[in-house]
Amino acid sequence: MNIVGVAACTSGIAHTYIAREKILTAAQALGWTAHIETQGTIGTENELTAEQISQSDFVLLAVDIKIGGTERFSGKKVVEIDTNTAIKSPTKVLQAIAANLNK
Amino acid sequence: MSSHRPNLQLKKHALTAISYMLPLVVAAGLLIAIGNLSGGSVITDYSASYNWADAMVSLGVLGMGLLPPVISAGIAFSIADRPGIAPGLMMGLIAHSIGAGFLGGMLGGYLVGYLVLWMKNNVKVPRWAEGLMPMMIIPLVSTLIVGTLMYFVVGIPIVWATNALTDFLTGLQGAGSFLFGMIMGGMAAFDFGGPVNKVASLFADGMLLEGVKEPEAVKILASMVPPFGVGISWALSHWFRKPIYSFQERDNIKIALPMGVCMITEGVIPIAAVDIVRVVFACTTGAAIGGGFSMLWGIGSPVPSGGLFIVPTMTNPLMFMSALAIGSVITGILLFLTKKRLSPEDLQNQASINAEDEAEVDVSSIKFS
Repeated sequence: MNIVGVAACTSGIAHTYIAREKILTAAQALGWTAHIETQGTIGTENELTAEQISQSDFVLLAVDIKIGGTERFSGKKVVEIDTNTAIKSPTKVLQAIAANLNK
Repeated sequence: MSSHRPNLQLKKHALTAISYMLPLVVAAGLLIAIGNLSGGSVITDYSASYNWADAMVSLGVLGMGLLPPVISAGIAFSIADRPGIAPGLMMGLIAHSIGAGFLGGMLGGYLVGYLVLWMKNNVKVPRWAEGLMPMMIIPLVSTLIVGTLMYFVVGIPIVWATNALTDFLTGLQGAGSFLFGMIMGGMAAFDFGGPVNKVASLFADGMLLEGVKEPEAVKILASMVPPFGVGISWALSHWFRKPIYSFQERDNIKIALPMGVCMITEGVIPIAAVDIVRVVFACTTGAAIGGGFSMLWGIGSPVPSGGLFIVPTMTNPLMFMSALAIGSVITGILLFLTKKRLSPEDLQNQASINAEDEAEVDVSSIKFS
């Protein structure tokens, strides 16, 4: 699996980055490739490239707030969860999504 | 992006607005505190002379006055995208002017946001008028309608509710204020930055706008009790040779402590996730009792976040530290007493994390689109 995603939380200083780390670690453990962009209070970091997006199997949004740039994902399978879910159970979320995609 | 979803996502809109509001409220609160500490007061007459401290206080007060417009615009933006911003700002200004504050700003933002969204999707104009839609028709019609409503209908009960709440809180004494502090503190610590915490937090921020600073101090205290309490229980387990944390958890505690100093409770989540009942019980109890004392002693905070760094700006920093210490020690002792002693094997076994350790996810709640 090849995924891209965005993480964004309310205060934009903690959850956002924890969620990114958790998803990246979980994806790595599953042997997937993952690129996660953060939209924190400081602004966008690790911005996704058009190539990363076009090569991805699905888009994982771990967001509590409205984010920018969602038009980049048109035509993609987009899954939205909150940052808490991404932090608590990253692997289960990824596995659940993969199972759903394979149906 | 939410325009085609059936569900309203009220919470997401509020959180989006709060995310835009936070830097403003922190800067404004600190400016007021710095100005007050340097002996300044609000400038009422700009033609008279004023000093730097007065200017800082005034800037902070101006910034606080921006909160209802920013909240309102943030919500309207989250609902209706760009066209929501201008009408949202104006609804927030009404809320500020009529004394409906934070609650009025939120309501104005929701009303005008959904109206703008509806207009975007449903009002069809001839091709030559398409440019007029975002530039004139949407902003004029939406502010005219919701503005009238805000001034003459919905604003009135909100002003009444805001005043009643403010009077209630400022009138609290003795056992009443202790109980209120316990509820606030317990809620703020209950889910380590989750939805229950956000409700308490939103309430405290709203009260700060009305000049009631005590709930904010309770919120800050309750956000720091869990990490400090866990730290204390770890120290106790070390001194009394009762191992209650695995190696993995010890590493997590070392990260949670500095996060706690900055008022970020989330560092405790990994500790809570593996032993949810005991950790939540201990943290909520400690924060509730600490919060009770904070309210009882009338400690107020002019700043909504910043952890230990903003304690000097509080009305009574020493008493705040005492209340924080009481709450943290209670949490620490409760954790030390209730958590199970780990065998040497457990210490090692739990060091590995895998999918089985993760909390159960309700997969049906995951939205696919």
